[in-house]
Order: sequence, then C-alpha cells, then structure tokens
Amino acid sequence: MIRAYELTKRYGDTTVVHGLDLTVHPGTVTGFLGPNGAGKSTTLRMLLGLDAPTRGRSTIGGRDYTTHPAPLTEVGALLEARSVHPGRTAFHHLMALAHTHGIPRGRVERVLDMVGLTGAAHRRVKGFSLGMGQRLGIAAALLGDPATLILDEPVNGLDPEGVLWIRTLLTSLAAEGRTVLVSSHLMSEMALTADHLVVIGRGRLLADTTVDALIRDAGGAFVKVVTPQADTLRTLLAGPGVEVGTDTDTGPDHLVVRGTDAAHIGRTAAAHGIPLLELTPQQVSLEQAFMDLTQESVDHRTTAPLTGASA
Amino acid sequence: MTATAPTTPSPYRVTTGRVLRSEWHKLRSLRSTWITLLSAAALVLGVGLVMGTTYTSDGGDSDIDTVVLVLYGSLLGQLCVVVLGILVTAGEYSTGMIRASLTVVPRRLPVLRAKAAVFTAVAFTTMLATDLVTFLAAQLFLHDTDQAAGLTDPGVLRAIAGSAAGVTLLSLIALGLGCALRSVPGSIGAFIGGVLVLPEVLGMLPYDAVDSALTYFPTQAAGALGSSTPLPGATAPGPALLALCLWAGASLAAAALVLRRRDA
Repeated sequence: MIRAYELTKRYGDTTVVHGLDLTVHPGTVTGFLGPNGAGKSTTLRMLLGLDAPTRGRSTIGGRDYTTHPAPLTEVGALLEARSVHPGRTAFHHLMALAHTHGIPRGRVERVLDMVGLTGAAHRRVKGFSLGMGQRLGIAAALLGDPATLILDEPVNGLDPEGVLWIRTLLTSLAAEGRTVLVSSHLMSEMALTADHLVVIGRGRLLADTTVDALIRDAGGAFVKVVTPQADTLRTLLAGPGVEVGTDTDTGPDHLVVRGTDAAHIGRTAAAHGIPLLELTPQQVSLEQAFMDLTQESVDHRTTAPLTGASA
Repeated sequence: MTATAPTTPSPYRVTTGRVLRSEWHKLRSLRSTWITLLSAAALVLGVGLVMGTTYTSDGGDSDIDTVVLVLYGSLLGQLCVVVLGILVTAGEYSTGMIRASLTVVPRRLPVLRAKAAVFTAVAFTTMLATDLVTFLAAQLFLHDTDQAAGLTDPGVLRAIAGSAAGVTLLSLIALGLGCALRSVPGSIGAFIGGVLVLPEVLGMLPYDAVDSALTYFPTQAAGALGSSTPLPGATAPGPALLALCLWAGASLAAAALVLRRRDA
C-alpha cells in the first residue's frame, strides 16, 4: 500500500507536484499516467525519499520509506534514469546492492535468471542495450522480494518480447498480492497492463479510476451508421437507453448510435428494407480519453489538429 | 519466501557492517580503482628507484631528508589516489549509481561513512605497502651514500607511515569534495585550486601570520608528516596529523550536510 498526503514539490516558482493525494492498493497493477513533464518521476522520487517534498508526506507499507530497516524488502524500484555504474558488471552491481541487506549470492543469481540476464551477468553494463539496462533495473527491483514495486517507464527501450514479458511479470506480481505502481506516458501500454489508473497533469491529480470507467466517461462505445434513410432509421431505433445522434462533421446521413449494438441496428434496417452503406462499431480509444483528460494540462501542444481539419 | 506473503519477517536488514561490505564490493568491482591504485604505486616506486639509482653524495642534495627523497614520487602518486577519492563519491553522481545506492540505504549517511572508511583502509594500506617497498628498494642503491638509512633508524618508520597517512587524508578531503560537489571534473578542479594551488598563492603574501597558518594547510601538513627529520619552517608531525584530520573531517562534514539536505 502506497499513500501520499498533500504531496507537493516546488522548485523556485515552479510547482511540479501540487498537493497530490494518492492511495495505491495491493493486489492490482496501478498505472501512473501523465504527459511528459506532468510530475510522475518527481512523485516517484519523493515516495522513495530521493527528493524531499516541499509539503506533505508519503508512506509505503504504512511508514516513511526512509525509516524502513530493510528498504529492499519493502520496495523494489526502477527509476527512469539509469542508476547503474557502467563500468561494473551486472552481477557485481546487484551483488553490491544485495550486500547492504545481507541478501545472499543465490538470490542475485536467481533475479538475473528471472530477467534473462544470466548470460550477460559478467559483462560490463557499459555494453548493454537499453532493453538489457531495463532488465537489470528490474532485477535490482526484485532483489529483496519486495511487497511493493515502483517502476518508472519500465517498457522504455524494450523490444516487443520484452514488453510482453513486463506485462506478464507485473500482472503475476500483483496477483501475488503485491502493490505495483507503474508510470507511463503511453495510455495504450497502460490499458494492457493496469487495472487501476492514476492520471496526473501539471502535478495535479486528474483522475483516480479504472480503465473501463475512464473509457465509459470519455463517451464509451458507439456504432457509426451511414444510410440514405437516416430519419427513418432514427425513428425505428428510438427506445429507452438508446441515443441516436448525427455526426455533424460528415453530414445528415451519418448517424452515431449509442446504447445498442451493430447486430440490432443491422437487423432492424434489414427488416424495414433500409439500405446501410456503413455499419461500424467503434470505441473511444484510450488515447482519446487520455488526451481529453490531459489536454488542459500539457505544456506543449500543437495549436491545430493534425487531422480532420474539415468543416 | 512464499509469493503470497511478502510481509513475513525477513532476515534481511541494513546494518553498518553490511553497508561497509557493499562499499568494499563496489570499490573492488571497478577497473578504475585498480588503475588508479596501481598507477599511484608505480609512480611512487618508479620515482623512488630513479632517486635511488641516480643519487650521488656530492650532488648537493645531502640536506634532503632520506624518506622525503625516496618517496618523492608521492607527490605524483597522491594525485591518482585523490582522483580515486573523487571517483568514489562524485563518480556515483555522474553515472546515476547514487540513486540506486540511496534507494537501498535511504538514511544516506551510512553510505558516506562506509565509503570514507573503506576508502581510508584501502588507500592507506596501498600507500603504506608501496612506501615500504619503495624505501627498501631505493636503499639497495643508497647503502654506500650519505642517504643510507634503515627502517629502524629514528623517525624513518614514522615518516613512511606518515607519508601514507598524508596521501590518504588528502584524498579523503577529495572524497568529501566529490560528495559535496557531485561532479568529477568540478571536484578535481576544486581540489587542485583549493588544496594544491591556493596555499602557494597565499604563501606569496608578505605576512608572517599567513606563513605560520599555511604550515597547517593540507599539503604542508602532509609534507611535514612524511619527513623523518624536522623540516625547516614546518610544523611537528603530531600537530600536522591533527590538522590534516581536521581538514578531512571538515570536508566530510560538509559532504554529510549536502548529502542530507539536497535531493539526490
């Protein structure tokens, strides 16, 4: 369990994190989302005691992280910036960290094996690819078999196989009852990994919700229908819970139907001999939901939309 | 530990001894450690052998202290050890390793203490062994000159140990600077400017008070420690050792303050 109370970080006049209240529960993967510069890394660094909050405080497993007698067994952390001396081998890097807690060599070898770095264990980190560096960071996070994992952008630089591996790993760690907090600026990645979402923008909490609820709130699923007899179909489809709108961008024969599915629309149209030119089930993409949520808070935004500059 | 019970009591805990062991592991698992230490040893031994083989009694150097003459290479060797001291701390900041170190030991100060302790032990042992070997090797060539001396001669062992302690304490100042400044080139610059050059500049001032104060500055004090006979105008070995310890302590105290206060 991770808790933050009114967590605030100010650098001079710039407030990077603004009174963040946060609870991350065990047993689920929680995605920590926000555009670049939203304050994700700073928040995670404050949780880990690397940055001191200007105001507020946070606890992991019920106590201030810096007061824990065995931090590695409480929290495993992967930070966004590489935190390894490039001149040391993977094995020596992990062994040096393990020594601080009296963790034996066997455990170091085991985490190297878990992340698939056994073959590269005695190579210097200098020659590692970005993906291997991430794997080493994750090995370090797993060293103390921690109850909580905090991973900052773990899929960065990983190949598709590595991404899949991370997803499976995070899900299984959460299933074991651990608290897993994963930051990302990629909504699509979080949709596949996380159950719960915490979205921040400009250091403020924008949403603390689930993936499903976020999509539902953003407009959810709908069916796009194109027919020359739009008004007739509209009348036929009308009913409790069904909402039929016109797509104003494309013309009066384009309908947007919510509250029923494509099969029902198709059968209704066929029964009444109404020709359908297009019948497409659609879903508001998570990206769209995410952008709607955060567009107020991004620092740098293109002033005109890149596509659909019609009407 | 079973997967479903990550909260069961664990034998793993951070202790002073374990942090020391971790820092020792860090130090010995980097090539730069061995390169700087071997360079220091090679410079001291090499210069010592040159001094031993080329010395002649009528060359006009008879008034130089034997240990100072033989360990003249310490002036070069100490630069390597100083760089190692800076790498131990500032090197972690330049590579990002410090974030891992402080996440694992979030109380922070044990890390600095362990670094200083391990570095002191390694640097002193290396320099002491190097100085002893160099002295004995150089004496093989000096036995028929007026610089002939043995380890048991008055002041000789003390000066050899003092030379090693001087280099170690100077490098400990550098280790503290590296932690406070967090930059390898910045710390090397600060050490050269503040510790090596500044006293020379101050020495040009026409005030006697400055001159006597300067004898307690790090390089002067280290010089006094490494001589078996009293150097003209230098302080005695006891006060010199005390002064050097205070300089190193001040540097480490500043480092501790910055380490505690500043975000990593």
